[in-house]
Amino acid sequence: MSPVIDAPPTPLAQWLRLLWNRAPALHLDSPAPFIADGAIHLPARRHWQGHCAAAAHAAAHLVYSPTRFDGDGLVPIARTLLALLEDARVEALAMRELPGLARLWRPLHTATPDDGAGFEALLGRLARALADPAYADPHPWVAKGRQLFYLDEALGLPALCTPAALRDAAMRLGHDIGQLRLPFNARGYQPAPAYRDDHRWMWPAEQQAPAQPPPAPAAGPHADTPPPEAPPPEAEATVTRHPEWDRLIQRLRPDWCSVQAHGPRPVAPGDAGPGAAADEAAARAGGRRLLSPLRALTRPQARRGRGPEGEVFDLDALVDWRLARRLRSPGDARVYRAPQQQAGRGAVWLLVDQSASSAAPLGAPGAGTGPADRTTLLQAAARSAAAVAAALQALGLHCTVAAFRSNGRHAVRLDIVKGPAEPADGLLARRLGALRPGGSTRLGAVLRHAAARLGPGAGMGGGGPRWVLLLSDGEAHDVDVHDPHYLVADARQAVRAAARQGVRMACLALGAPGGPAGVASPLHGQARLIFGPRGTQALSDLAALPRCLRRLMA
Amino acid sequence: MGHADTRALEAWRLSAEPHYQATGDEVARFEAAAARRLPLLLKGPTGCGKTRFVEHMAWRLQRPLVTVACHEDLSAGDLVGRWLLDGDGTRWQDGPLTLAARHGAICYLDELIEARADTTVVIHPLTDSRRMLPLAQRNELVHAHPDFQLVVSYNPSPMAREMKASTRQRFCALAFDYPEPERETAIVARESGLDTARCAALVAFGVRTRRLQGQGLDDGASTRMLVHAAVLVVQGLGPDVACRMAVVDALSDEPGVAQALHAALDASF
Repeated sequence: MSPVIDAPPTPLAQWLRLLWNRAPALHLDSPAPFIADGAIHLPARRHWQGHCAAAAHAAAHLVYSPTRFDGDGLVPIARTLLALLEDARVEALAMRELPGLARLWRPLHTATPDDGAGFEALLGRLARALADPAYADPHPWVAKGRQLFYLDEALGLPALCTPAALRDAAMRLGHDIGQLRLPFNARGYQPAPAYRDDHRWMWPAEQQAPAQPPPAPAAGPHADTPPPEAPPPEAEATVTRHPEWDRLIQRLRPDWCSVQAHGPRPVAPGDAGPGAAADEAAARAGGRRLLSPLRALTRPQARRGRGPEGEVFDLDALVDWRLARRLRSPGDARVYRAPQQQAGRGAVWLLVDQSASSAAPLGAPGAGTGPADRTTLLQAAARSAAAVAAALQALGLHCTVAAFRSNGRHAVRLDIVKGPAEPADGLLARRLGALRPGGSTRLGAVLRHAAARLGPGAGMGGGGPRWVLLLSDGEAHDVDVHDPHYLVADARQAVRAAARQGVRMACLALGAPGGPAGVASPLHGQARLIFGPRGTQALSDLAALPRCLRRLMA
Repeated sequence: MGHADTRALEAWRLSAEPHYQATGDEVARFEAAAARRLPLLLKGPTGCGKTRFVEHMAWRLQRPLVTVACHEDLSAGDLVGRWLLDGDGTRWQDGPLTLAARHGAICYLDELIEARADTTVVIHPLTDSRRMLPLAQRNELVHAHPDFQLVVSYNPSPMAREMKASTRQRFCALAFDYPEPERETAIVARESGLDTARCAALVAFGVRTRRLQGQGLDDGASTRMLVHAAVLVVQGLGPDVACRMAVVDALSDEPGVAQALHAALDASF
């Protein structure tokens, strides 16, 4: 039995890219396959082979078919035949390029002469005759269709190469059906085999047969709007007070901000947001790409030393000892390489800024037309955090993921999305996917909170490196602060204080470097002020995440 | 000393011509740089023929070729040399870089970026007008032989470390990429002995895998992998089985990517 697809259509999308270098949007939201606006809609759950057959057929249309056919003046029978011939034509071309596709499609053609000689049965028999050279059909109409269609059947060369030739052949075959007086109910007709799409893409909207249903609302993983859900009940918050740096009086105001840390919120099934399942797979895959940059966090801080025993000579030590002996002095007998000092496992906090401005798109407008351009800053931050958390887990580092937003200094809200002991799994991706933009960005309080949880005495990191990575979109601001430099100065002070405690802080500044509106982004300048140029990396494309992390680790 | 020179590098001379199929004017450009002993940076994806090109050029220029595969534990001592113990006391052993600089060879540092940062700095004085190599441990300053040339390779993938500007700017660069399918087919056919038609099918599949670069794969199938697949076909395996063994299963462990690659392989043959 074929494996059942339970993951998002990522392997399927990768497969289509491998076959034809195409990346059409894939939606698993329709009981029968169809193509609309260049996107492929497939049944929600199906076996991998079935999905591949349907996706490859639809993608073959996108690759080999013209954008539209003119159905003007064609009766339903001729239209249906034209569509069938076009299906067979694109499949023949696809199979010439990729012979293995035949093994995917041909077994799904099950029509036989036993199905009868009604029009729909003949359509199925003709479809099979055009798809499978080994299939023999005694019906003269099927034989005529085959003869019209192929220039050379053995080579799989279709004779019908232009819409006009297809139209002509369809009209000739349709005429025969008319002569046979075979009835046809266009309204109830579904192309067979079931992996083939319903051809709605072929005809201009005004020529669409009324029987075809409108495109189903996209409710799959790529849907733009999640269904409304009542928020699940919240866990009890822990309130911690933190000081804040007042740049005017040049001192800390004690206990100035209240950080309300909420434990992980239960996630309702529909609340995971667009692409959460895809994000989970992406996080797993992306995390692997981050292993190498993040490995710096696991490296021993001290260099290898000399030891009195070991497996390998330290050549320099050996030479020193030998020289000393020649000089008739005892010398240092530690001539072995000491076993590598095991660094304490590090600990990391990933802080995701979910303030209102994180709803802005990641890329600059007009930069492209791909689905990535619709990614919001918050989604980008969430995906990055999931990938980094997955990589840190693989490296054996403790990682806490928290999202924050504020509404004045007494209401700095911190949602712990993942505790240090929790696994970075699908649940994390769903929790991150459920984050919604809102509120402001009171950075200093949140950085201090994370630093305190990582600092000496907090029992985290076990002596290894401790690191806070901020994934932020907008400038530091809050509703009760009107001095634009105040929160920046406070955050910078928090970063310096943390550094004195041995906690490094860095920022992935999300968004196009030019700013969303094409103007110089204040954020990247602010982030540089707060974290320093070496602690700031601008990220406008998630593919650059490994490189950004490597630079931050350097 | 001249006699010793020839002996020191004898093992590093190429005895037969390594085949290299030029894709452009890279041979002429290498020769121009070599004539003036300019350091060269060969950049391009893994398995696209950089090392073979250097071997070919060393043979063509009749120079010994000292190759070092760099790795993250490669220390400066591994390159320049170190003191060793022998029966009489200590003895200095030139490292490969010193050997090449002292006696006049092409020193090829493969994947230089993988070496530790402190190692990379060692080559700096050899790559500017000074052309010298200070051996601090030995208190010696080695002036590079007139025939010495430094060539390094670098695979600029998203996963790779970046080369520091201070190192990068010392080199002239030759960018490599996978050859055009027809040319790659000819290379695979020549290296493996397989017929052109079947090589073309293997190359077509290899080209497909490169579409996933950055989309789940760090690199697609290299020309080297395709040669391996072709060799397996010559050994009697079917092209699909050979590709599975030499390409698909070797490229990725990611279950989703592997599933897509296997399905693409099924579709291709």
